[in-house]
Amino acid sequence: MSAPKTIPKDAQVMIQILKDMGVTEYEPRVINQMLEFTYRYVTTIIEDAKIYASHAKKSAVDADDIKLAIQCRMDQSFTSPPPRDFLLEAARQKNQTPLPLIKPYTGPRLPPDRYCLTAPNYRLKSIQKKVCSSSSPPTPEPVEPVCSLTSDPSVWSSGTPSVQSVSSKVGTPVSLTGQRFTVQIPPPSQTATTKTTASPAVSNVLINPSLIGSKNILITTNMVAQNAGGDALKRKLEDDDDYDAL
Amino acid sequence: MAAVQGSIVDAKDEADIKTEPAADGFGNNHANDAGVLSASPGSSAAAGNNKPAAGAPEDQQTLLAVLQFLRKNKLSESAEILRREAGLPEEVLDPKGADSAGSGLGSGADIDGGDASALLSRVTITAAGGAKAPTKAAGEDQPDVNVVLSAYSQQGDPALYEVYYSGLKKFIESVLDCHRAELSQVFYPLFVHMYLELVYNNHEAEAKAFFEKFSGDQECYYEEDLRILSSLTKKEHMRGNETLLDFRTSKFVLRISRDSYQLLKRHLQERQNNQIWNIIQEHLYIDIFDGMPRSKSQIDAMSGSLAGEAKREANKAKVYYGLLKEPEIELPLDDEDEEAENEEGKPKKKKPKKDSTGSKSKKQDPNAPSQTRIPLPELKDSDKLDKIMYMKESTKRIRLGPDNLPSICFYTFLNAYQGLTAVDVTDDSSLIAGGFADSTVRVWSVTPKKLRKVKTASDLNLIDKESDDVLERIMDDKTASESKCLYGHSGPVYGISFSPDRNYLLSCSEDGTVRLWSLLTFTCLVGYKGHNYPVWDTQFSPYGYYFISGGHDRVARLWATDHHQPLRIFAGHLADVTCTRFHPNANYMATGSSDRTIRLWDVLTGNCVRIFTGHKGPIHALAFSPNGKFLASGATDGRVLLWDIGHGLMVGELKGHTECIYSLRFSRDGEILGSGSMDNTVRLWDAMKAFDDLETDDFTAATGHIHLQDNSQELLLGTYMTKSTPVVHLHFTRRNLLLAAGAYNP
Repeated sequence: MSAPKTIPKDAQVMIQILKDMGVTEYEPRVINQMLEFTYRYVTTIIEDAKIYASHAKKSAVDADDIKLAIQCRMDQSFTSPPPRDFLLEAARQKNQTPLPLIKPYTGPRLPPDRYCLTAPNYRLKSIQKKVCSSSSPPTPEPVEPVCSLTSDPSVWSSGTPSVQSVSSKVGTPVSLTGQRFTVQIPPPSQTATTKTTASPAVSNVLINPSLIGSKNILITTNMVAQNAGGDALKRKLEDDDDYDAL
Repeated sequence: MAAVQGSIVDAKDEADIKTEPAADGFGNNHANDAGVLSASPGSSAAAGNNKPAAGAPEDQQTLLAVLQFLRKNKLSESAEILRREAGLPEEVLDPKGADSAGSGLGSGADIDGGDASALLSRVTITAAGGAKAPTKAAGEDQPDVNVVLSAYSQQGDPALYEVYYSGLKKFIESVLDCHRAELSQVFYPLFVHMYLELVYNNHEAEAKAFFEKFSGDQECYYEEDLRILSSLTKKEHMRGNETLLDFRTSKFVLRISRDSYQLLKRHLQERQNNQIWNIIQEHLYIDIFDGMPRSKSQIDAMSGSLAGEAKREANKAKVYYGLLKEPEIELPLDDEDEEAENEEGKPKKKKPKKDSTGSKSKKQDPNAPSQTRIPLPELKDSDKLDKIMYMKESTKRIRLGPDNLPSICFYTFLNAYQGLTAVDVTDDSSLIAGGFADSTVRVWSVTPKKLRKVKTASDLNLIDKESDDVLERIMDDKTASESKCLYGHSGPVYGISFSPDRNYLLSCSEDGTVRLWSLLTFTCLVGYKGHNYPVWDTQFSPYGYYFISGGHDRVARLWATDHHQPLRIFAGHLADVTCTRFHPNANYMATGSSDRTIRLWDVLTGNCVRIFTGHKGPIHALAFSPNGKFLASGATDGRVLLWDIGHGLMVGELKGHTECIYSLRFSRDGEILGSGSMDNTVRLWDAMKAFDDLETDDFTAATGHIHLQDNSQELLLGTYMTKSTPVVHLHFTRRNLLLAAGAYNP
């Protein structure tokens, strides 16, 4: 495809640069992309330089400002990997420790929970606030860590709700990832059971080692929810404020 | 301290005596150097005084330089005397003056000729070295003069570099044929180092001229490097380029026979060629061997990497390349009902596969690592079931050979718009996963069985845990679908790997993380952060639990799924690690890199046990043979190279592809090697024959001379072209059917 008669000068310069760097085959849109990058980069640098110049109470931007702006941007965006001696030293230290032994029969081998992404990243808010004691909104189903809310009220209404058991264990799993979903769900009294009956069964299953390892993933998640619930109770007071704000 | 107004001869003698140790010890013995110089300020003053006799303008500069040096070393008295004697003005402390002194010296030395100028230039250079010290001390973080003199300091006059280089060229062209090929190896590293020196010392114009004159002479396979160099004209450009910085500080390794080396040494140590000798001593490592000089083709086969060849000691460590013993598993009787052709259901003892583990189960293979060398996860029941399936499938395996080629089944990814960046297939070929440039990972089921998620916890409570088909019941059929999409990365996904037990999937991406996904819930479990730069490849170990990753930060890391930080860091490559593969016994792993070398690492200690050079482009594909003895590698130069791990030598070269090779795979028994490339073809090679008649005698092992046969054509069993689809992945099923994958690219 031959070039039309009127390519802007900038594009011609970019074509020349690509040729000098040895790039012979490229799609036509590459020039546009390169130009966009160039404009954005130069604009950022010059704006930074203007800020530095005004900070130094200079009337005009001069070369030193530009140099400073470039240097700061380099440290920020275009970092390069660590130098070789640093890597060799880090490697030497890391490689000295022997490989850790593997404990048998521990189910899915995952790092401690705070390094995993298995915690639920949402919490539920109830429409009515319970006046009595814990007033912690009921637990949703925190099974799927990605927020697919499979709330099936019919499942929950089994068993006798008891306020004590609710307050003792069930709390809102507080989001560990900072993302929050709020869902209006039907009256809490019905759903207060949640895991009361479920958890004992769940924990029983966990103890049984003869189960195939695949199931344990889910069980771990449930345990997380329970632990998070405990934490939530402690922070109950602040949480209430949050709910109000929402 | 009277100035010696002796005759010219006397002063010259003194200068001679002083500079002899200086010149010889320049590269090595700097403490002595400075000691000599500072211990005899009188003689340097004498040398300084010698100058006016020789000629006015350049000597003025030399005087200034010497004065600078004396002042720098706080020899104020001698400095005063020199200044008075030479009649120099008071303010000579300007560093720029020293700089111009340096360049002025150049022109000065150029004018004179003959032996006197040689001596003069040596003295000049020493002084220039000293004069450079103040400027460098200002510019660098190393105020120590000794260190500065030993670093990339001016080894000579910039304008003379061309002279030195052409002189060397002429010499090498004049030697005997047998030595010429070996000595020509010196050209490239010398050229690059001299150029970088000129750039580093801010002689931009000379650097450009030097480059233009001599870059055309270099070997063709260094073209890429030279292009990068040509864009590097200022010192600031070098700062961000880690690869070049590593190149500067590491030694380029050359292998030269003793005779050739003696020739070179003798030539360079006489007369003015000391500069090149100094550079060679400092930046090159010459591995001398006794024996016949190598031919050009032999040298070409092994060279091409960024750091020269590998030192022989680097490839001498013992490598346990044998396979681990398979555990004893008894085939239960009731599993045989599906095998109609099996004879009377006699309990089969262990000797399951006729091929791999075989009969030597009692004797320990001397080349195999012990079972407990690295901790490996124990075999769970599900793993044992998998193994039984594996053994059954392997009895139905087709034996491949030159007259029995595999069928190839190609999986084409349509509408990927050039976004397909990684593919993996499970070992039993039931799932295929693709990583894409839009940061998603998609998993498809190859068999008619759909992908299902595990039920939610509440539903799981309702199922009968004791039933036989509990594994089926935990699956939620409502979520069945052909493919599942996994979201989580924030950059193109460059590597994927299934775990051997098909429960997990790993993916690594440009965002610097490696993510572990569960294939039961199809959600992300862990993000392993360690590389802060794009991660180019990742792979699970053949036994699960461990995995490796390699990326732009030039290291490869070993992780375990239950540690959030890596267990081992493998550092040593000079450029990005582009490909990482485990050895079948999980005790070693191989990394291919953009610096055109392949390194084999020991997982237990983290040491590099083998370095393989010979490729002329970045390496993108690696494959271990199933018996663990050989390694095949493919790079952007379109060649497949075969390596013997035990001896650390190249044993074969397969030429045929025209573009970059992105996938390599050995068949299940190691008889056929398949290679897929960007030129839209899959080629099959006869691996059995390539590894068959290898006599590795002591001489070859000791010196590393290789004799490659040019038998690529005989080894090529077939070339299979796709319409317009580069081949990104190859996989032999357990029955030796070849699966290939790629994205249609019209």
